[in-house]
Amino acid sequence: MARPESGAKMITMWSGPSRWLRATAIGYWRSVVLVVVAGLIPALTVAVAVFGLSFSRSWSAHLHAPPLVRLIAAIGEWALAAFWAAAGFSVAMAVLGRPTAQFLRCYGGHWLGAEIPSPYRPSRPITKMSTGYWWNGHGYHETERQAKIEAWFMDRSLLAIRSADGNPQLRRDVVWQAMAAATVVPVAALPLLAGAGAIYAATAQSMLWVALFAVASVASAPFAWRTLALVAPRYLAPNPYATAEEQVARLNSIRADLTQTQAAELERIERSLHDGAQARIVALGMHLSAAERLVDTDPEQAKQILREARASSKIALDQLRTLVRGINPPVLVERGLVDAIRALALDAPIEVDVRNTLERRPEQPVEAALYFAVAELFTNVIKHSHATHAAIELSHRRGVVSIIVSDNGTGGATATPGSGLDGIARRMAAFEGQVHPDSPAGGPTRVTLTVPCELS
Amino acid sequence: MRVVIAEDLFLLRDGLVRLLEAHGHSVIAAVESGPAALEALVGLRPDVAILDVRLPPTFTDEGLQAALAARREIPGLPVLILSQHVEQLYARELLADGHGGIGYQLKDRVMDAEQFLDALERVAGGGTALDATVIAKLLGRPARADPIATLTEREMSVLALMAEGLSNTAIAGRLFLSEGAISKYTTTLFTKLDISTDDDSNRRVRAVLTYLDSRPSGPQ
Repeated sequence: MARPESGAKMITMWSGPSRWLRATAIGYWRSVVLVVVAGLIPALTVAVAVFGLSFSRSWSAHLHAPPLVRLIAAIGEWALAAFWAAAGFSVAMAVLGRPTAQFLRCYGGHWLGAEIPSPYRPSRPITKMSTGYWWNGHGYHETERQAKIEAWFMDRSLLAIRSADGNPQLRRDVVWQAMAAATVVPVAALPLLAGAGAIYAATAQSMLWVALFAVASVASAPFAWRTLALVAPRYLAPNPYATAEEQVARLNSIRADLTQTQAAELERIERSLHDGAQARIVALGMHLSAAERLVDTDPEQAKQILREARASSKIALDQLRTLVRGINPPVLVERGLVDAIRALALDAPIEVDVRNTLERRPEQPVEAALYFAVAELFTNVIKHSHATHAAIELSHRRGVVSIIVSDNGTGGATATPGSGLDGIARRMAAFEGQVHPDSPAGGPTRVTLTVPCELS
Repeated sequence: MRVVIAEDLFLLRDGLVRLLEAHGHSVIAAVESGPAALEALVGLRPDVAILDVRLPPTFTDEGLQAALAARREIPGLPVLILSQHVEQLYARELLADGHGGIGYQLKDRVMDAEQFLDALERVAGGGTALDATVIAKLLGRPARADPIATLTEREMSVLALMAEGLSNTAIAGRLFLSEGAISKYTTTLFTKLDISTDDDSNRRVRAVLTYLDSRPSGPQ
């Protein structure tokens, strides 16, 4: 059937009375839900304020005093009512703020066909410190209960909203409540109020008003709840700044790890030089001066000392060589990642296949990080896995270098905090890299390293 | 012997020149970069060349690449590679063409002048002189089902010393055995590795190559 093109939209919209009926019914239901859930806290607040005001009015209404005193009393009463309202709102927000907002994120998102992610940060773990005190991320407490209460308070209470440790999402939840009370709730209430008006008019036998109210109610029902679409994405969705804040926190922790690793490395190098090569060279100097003293009087003894000196210099060289390997392996400098891994594989006491599809080199810092990660994984394979065969696969796809280290060993490798795998993951995190271990008990083990990196 | 030296550290280069000239060799070129080394090797065709692995301009493996390139031009051109570290990977690449005349030593071996000159002469004569460190790494590899696996421990140590480039006399000295005993070991060794009798030094190189080939090197 041919339809005029300009009317196509209208016709699809009204393509069936059943569809329209359905939209209307759904509209009523959603309006009810919105009014109840989004209007709950404002309603409670208003109720508490009215309750407080009724108390105070009962007192000042019978006051016989000069106008100035009456004025002061009235101001005091209003302030009291405002206090009641604030207290009511604060308690209601703390208890109901998060559940109602989460409910609307879940259902509202579903109605709008968009997922609204939860913006709340995970609650921090409450741990018992070695001092016997409980730490909840904000402060120390004598009992776990106290620590929990304070954590809840910091997370939910409006009193903590200005604290640096307070929950940044709380402020946004308050704004959402205010916006909802001003926009979503009144608009969603329209079809319901009009419906109520129609029923009221019916009892008053005023057919004109019944018709007017009924038409307004039914006509607005399919659309009234849609105000949510305008407000929810802006006020219910996670704050982009909050996401940035999380990113900053993550970067901070990476930086802390990095500076610690770096300091530990420097200390290791210093100690190694101090106790190793440096000491050997001091000994060398002493040997040489002893030989110089003896060369005329006791040439045989001098020769013996010189032999010792030579041996000492050899040991110093060996120590330096080992140290250099640990800082920046020469093959890595000379040949790059792939050949350095091949050299590593050749030196391993088990059979290792190296498969490579990288055609160019990653940038140097990434290369070094990947090399040391692979070297450590390798050491794990040799020390713990009882494997007889291992394989390393290097590839680059869509801007990501991935290296898979697999073995036929006994498996059971986990990245528990403080473990070797966890350490590798932390070091790789500095390059936005990730470590995915797959190591069921009984084996085999397969660890995948990925780092976003362009090749040059 | 006419020797070419490629080494970027002045002190070491100068020391090598003095050492070689004191022992009656003539240093026909002492260069300090990779391209200059390649030019000297191909242009002057020395009896033996001493190259550092890491040379200017890139300070990567210029020296090694120059040696490999020169040996592609002049097969079997004797080269002795010096480095601050030794890698099986490089040893394999050097020996891969099967022509012999390869030395690969740690730089500090120069401190023992006698042994160093001895190694240099073996390389110039078409033999091999691998550093004991490389050999130790090679021995650390797991044995596979190949002729090498049939060698006894003693035969293995003889082969290892042979790979270093030592003569039977020298091997006998190291293992505190008679030269006759070593000669017996080498004969069984060649039989086991299925290496037919011809020129002895060539046979020794081939034994070492068999040895290296028996190790998984990973696909290149």
